[in-house]
Formats: sequence, structure tokens, C-alpha cells
Amino acid sequence: MRGLRKVLTPFAPDQSGAVSVLYSMGALTVVIDAGGCTGNICGFDEPRWHTARSAVFSAGLRDIDAILGRDDLLIRKLEWAVKAAQSDPASRNRIRFTALVGTPVPAVIGTDYDALARIAEKKTGLKCVPIPASGMKHYDSGAEKAWLALFQKFAAASEKTDRVGVIGYTPLDFDEQTRADFDEAFGPCTVYGLDTGVEALEAAGGVRENVVIAPSGIAAAQYLERKFGTPYRVCDPFAGALLRPQTDGAKKILIVHQAVTASSLEALILARNPEAQITKASWFMTPASCGSFIALREEDDFTELVQKGGFDLIVADEVMRDLAPDCKGLWIDARHFAVSGRTEKT
Amino acid sequence: MSTFYTAAELARRGPDDIPESFSTARHLVYSSPATLAFNSPGAEGFGVKRAGLAVPGSVMLIVSPGCCGRNTSEISSIPQYRHRFFYYEIQEPELVTGQHLKRIPEAVDEVCRSLPEKPSVVMICATCVDALLGTDFDRVCRAAEARSGVKVRPCYMYALTREGKKPPMVQVRQSLYSLLEPRTRKGADVNLLGFFAPLDDDAELYAYLRGCGVRNIREISRCEDWEAFQQMASANFNLVLNPEARAAADDLSERLGMPYIELSQLYRIDKIHSQYQALASAIGGKIDDAADLAAARQAIETFRAGHPGLRFAVGECLNANPFELSLALTEYGFTVSEIYATAQSGYYRWIDRLAVLSPETRIYCNQDPSMLFYEAEQQVDVTLGKDAAFYHPGKPNLAFNSDRQPFGYEAVQRLFRELGEVLG
Repeated sequence: MRGLRKVLTPFAPDQSGAVSVLYSMGALTVVIDAGGCTGNICGFDEPRWHTARSAVFSAGLRDIDAILGRDDLLIRKLEWAVKAAQSDPASRNRIRFTALVGTPVPAVIGTDYDALARIAEKKTGLKCVPIPASGMKHYDSGAEKAWLALFQKFAAASEKTDRVGVIGYTPLDFDEQTRADFDEAFGPCTVYGLDTGVEALEAAGGVRENVVIAPSGIAAAQYLERKFGTPYRVCDPFAGALLRPQTDGAKKILIVHQAVTASSLEALILARNPEAQITKASWFMTPASCGSFIALREEDDFTELVQKGGFDLIVADEVMRDLAPDCKGLWIDARHFAVSGRTEKT
Repeated sequence: MSTFYTAAELARRGPDDIPESFSTARHLVYSSPATLAFNSPGAEGFGVKRAGLAVPGSVMLIVSPGCCGRNTSEISSIPQYRHRFFYYEIQEPELVTGQHLKRIPEAVDEVCRSLPEKPSVVMICATCVDALLGTDFDRVCRAAEARSGVKVRPCYMYALTREGKKPPMVQVRQSLYSLLEPRTRKGADVNLLGFFAPLDDDAELYAYLRGCGVRNIREISRCEDWEAFQQMASANFNLVLNPEARAAADDLSERLGMPYIELSQLYRIDKIHSQYQALASAIGGKIDDAADLAAARQAIETFRAGHPGLRFAVGECLNANPFELSLALTEYGFTVSEIYATAQSGYYRWIDRLAVLSPETRIYCNQDPSMLFYEAEQQVDVTLGKDAAFYHPGKPNLAFNSDRQPFGYEAVQRLFRELGEVLG
């Protein structure tokens, strides 16, 4: 039945993707919800919450606020929080802008995010980035909106350097990679969202090339190409970690992951095993630059794909195994936090 | 710097002038561990999702945008909840047309048919969007029941209404106990309402009730199957141990003619004694608690002798009311430097007394946005509650938040025994 899930828990939603992008950027982020959506982000989807604090708050909406559309109260709350942050010596310079992230409740009442952001800028004196998430789309949709909005708001022309810009990093896709891993992969690079703030966004016009490591970053890279002429390419430099001896010998392979990782892995496998027939599938966005994909929407789509595909190797998060009980092929666990919520530790 | 008020300041302002810091509807909300324990309970504690599956053999269909079911995988990892959660993900066009409501009966039917055994009940977990739409879930559940032939009940995970008259954790208890069907009541049967895990086995309340002639003491969490759960309908009266179960007890009183008595989880032993005597008088029995009272007093004195002048920080993620517990610790001769909890008018019976005994105790609201910038300024030797540990990470901590609930003198003894273990 369409929309019914009997095995998989829902994937990371768009507001989690948006907050994940904003997390280390120096934003005071307000998730416009009653509390549960922020709870899901800070308590589950954002593994950094327990190790590196960020100013992510819930709007604390109540039914009457939503019914009456009390935007003025939301703005007052935001002003108060900005004042509290600016009066704290340790955080005074850390909060550089504010961000408003949507959830199902403001989506239902038709919130005008751009208007809210304009009022917020006037009242707080800080730039405001609105991200109209709805809780009904996947994390990549929210992350895509956030990347684009951030670069549109802050990126400026600057002198070209030798640095590479890396767009698309969030722990929802890359929960174990560190700064050292990126340095090893790209040399001197700016990994937006890993350990960079607004300054890096402002200097985005100066990088010599952008590398997009997740589909959510493609729209932003295209914007930067149009705006500053910065070329971009799409690849996940860590996909090789999924190669195993079995990928060299398999004949029919199914890869299920986010599109950039899946296509990078496909290229690596084909380089070593040119005879392999590879099928790529994804639950998430599949940009044309990543090649052809089978779009998965319902649990039955995956079950049917495995039943009919005759694959001798599947590379996918192992939470999907229960959807393919008759699968006889080998399985390589391509853990994907946005799908299963599993981390290296769990 | 984080916003706080001393006990003296709060008492001076009084319950009609509680600072905005303690009103979560007036400011942005910081996701402290205490906030998350309420807003995003996972494998620890009981939120609507876990509580909604308290009835044996039940399953849950979460009808919501995908985001609301996301963190359920944490609960699903607990063995007793595996394969008990199902999801119907609402899409935007369905919200506009209300089409999702028409599809719920079909979804319930498909869930039931996919299971090896028919569930005892399907709980439909509804979320904020349906709160806004004003969805009549009783009607939807009746339609689903008719189609599937299985009992279907709603439970409302309406975070939007958390400060209303019937917040989600009140409504979920009403929903669960609405499943009890009328039976002949038995004079010697009693239900304990309020928690989703049993009291500690050695809680003296069990013995006291038996001493008063009660033969069957039932708790929802000890019911192994549907029939055992239905036997709760034969109780002569209910004991309400958590105020969040009061509305359910009112319903049972009205629907099944079952009266109830409320008891509180307390740590001041003189008040525990008074409460037991009041209970004895209400049920026409006799409770001799002299030995347990003496044992609790001894536990306090032994601990105090080993740890004189101990300074506490007390949070709200624990099996106690933080203000009552802080007052108890203060009366026992300890210092409570800081409390992290939400001051409410109903707590002034403890705050006023605390203001007399310990006026400088600082009271912080866990949800206040300024708590993001909390820096420890007060001297603290030990913390109580997971949230207090968060603010003083290097200090010995007793979480004291097990699912199984301590109660009465046994709770006091357990508290000081476990504190002794933590402090070595």
C-alpha cells in the first residue's frame, strides 16, 4: 500500500537535512515547531549535538500560536534569544546570522518564510536565512535548500586561490569522516559545514573548483558556477571504502545509497571488474549527472527489485535486508545514517 | 550567562508572577537533556509512542509526516517493541485534501493481515498536523475497527497541546484505560495507575495494601496478556500514583464506577508517613509503618554521617519531583546549590519552604535558551538526574531514572543507598 511502512522507519526528514547544513555555520537556528521536530533533530538526527553545542532552538509553538498565526510572538522570542547570545561573552561573536527552519505545522498554516525573515533581520540586525522545510520530504531536499540559501546569502567574489571547495558534507551522509580524511582526499580544501562558518561561505567565490559529495550540494555548485564561474565535479572520494573482494568477482550488483556515493562506487567497481552489470537505486534525489537510477519510493519497490533482479551482490544499508528475505546474494552493509539512523558505534 | 532565580526570589514573586524563563510558551526552547527526554524520548523513559504500546499484544500505526516517526528506530531496537511500530507517511497533497484519513482503515487492515497473529489492539498515533486540522480520530478509529475487526484506539502525540488541559501523556493514559470493558467488581482488587513500568518489587506499598485485605494488585505493565489487562476492570478502586493518570481515573470512575485515591512519590519521610496513614483511613484499614519509617530514617542518618555537608545539583530527569526532593535533602541537612526544573504554581508548597531553609538555591529552567551558555559557578559535590550531570560533567552522578519506579520509604532507602555507591 502506498505510504505504508511495515519494516523501515522513516528516513531523515528535510528539516534535519537543513539543520545539519547550518549546524556549524554560526547560525542561531530556530526550528518552527512545537518541540518534537527539534527533539528529533537534536536527540537523534544530529550526532554532533552531544559533542559540539550549536544554537539550535525550538520555536515552542502552541496550538493557539499556530491557529492565530502569531508571528510577532515568534519574532519576540527570536529577539530575546539573540540578545541572550550576544550578552554571553563566549558566544557573542559566534552567532553571525539567524535561520528559520520549517516543519509540518508552519507548512500547514502557509507560513510566509521570506516575510518572517525580513522582519527578523529588521528586529535583530542579523541576516536571516529561511528554509521552508515541511517534514514531508527527505533530508536531501532540506539540505539542498539550505546550501543554496547560504551561498546566495553570503557568497561573494574574491581572489581565486588554490583551495578546493567541498559541498554537501553532513553527518547524515558522512558520519565518520574527519577533517584529516578530507585533507587526504583533496589537499587544501574548504569543507563547508564540517568546521567552517560564514567566513568560508563569504570566500566561496575564490575557490578554484567545487567538489560535490552529495546530491544536495549540486544546486549550490551550479549557482556558484553561474555566479563566479567556478567549475564543479561530482564525486564521493570515500566510496572506495565499500569495495570488497566480492565486488571484484560479482556479476550482477545492486547499489542502493545516495546518488553520488552510488555512482562513485559504480565507477570504482567497473574499473576493477568491467564485466559487472551494475544497477543503481536510491530512495533520494537522483541528479542526471550521477547516471541512471531506479527511484525507490515504497518498501515494495525494493522487494520487487531484488526479487526480479537476480543480483549476486547487494551493496545497501542492512536495515533493508528484512525487505528481501529471499535474497540469496551476498550483502555488503553500506551504512547510511539518513536511512537507518545507525552510526559506526551502533 | 544562564538565567536563574533563587528560591527566595521565586517565593517573593509568588505563583502568580512566575518569571517568563519558566514559561516554555514565552521563549525559544533549548534542547537540554531534560527537554529531549520529553520531546524525543528514545530507548529511555516513556513518551507517547512507548506508552501507547503498554497494552499486551498491541501494535501502533503512526500516521504522520515522515519526520514524526523518524526517531522510533531507537525504541524499535528494544526487543519487546520490535515489529510493533508501523507508519503511514502523510504526503502534502493528502494533508490538503484530508485523503490520508480515508486510507487509515486500509492501512490498519493491511498491518493486521501482515502479522502472524491478530493484535489485541491497534493504536493510531496522531501528530500535530491532525491537531491543527481538528481531525476526529474517534470516527477514523471506528471505521478502521469495522474494516479490520480489531480494536483501534487513538493516541495523540500533539506536542502543540502540551500545556493544555489534556497534554499528550494524560490523553494516552485515557486511551489505554478506555479499553477496559465492564466486569463485576471485586472488593479485594486494586489497580495502581500512573506508570508504564511496575513499582520496585520491594516497595512497601504492596505489603501495606495486602495488610489492608487487598488480594490482587494490578499494574498495566505486569499484565502479560489481554485477559490479564481486562482483569483491571474488576478493581474495587484505583490508586493514582502520578497526576497524569488522574483524567483516566476520572473516566474509569464515571464509566465503571471505580473510585480512586491519589498518592504522591515523596522523599520527605514525615510526609510519606502522613500519606500512608491517610490511605489507611480512606480504605478502612491499618498501616503500621513504624519499622519502615525507622529504616528510612536510619538510611538517611548513615549516609549523612558518611557524607556531611554534601552539596547537590538536582535535575528533573529523575524519579522524583525535583523541588520536593530538594526540599527533602535540605531538611536532611544537605545543601542543594542548584535545581534545573520548571517552576509551576503547584510546586510552591515546596518552593516556599525551600526559600526559608535555603534561600540562595539557584533555580534554572532547562528549556530556557540561555542554558546553552551555562557555565558552572556553584560548588557541587554530586548531581542527581541525567540533566544535572550534563551541566556538571566531571561530578559524580546518580541518574535515578529507571523505568521501574521507586516508591515510599523504599525509594528513600534506595536513593541514599545508590548515592553511597556513587560516592564510594
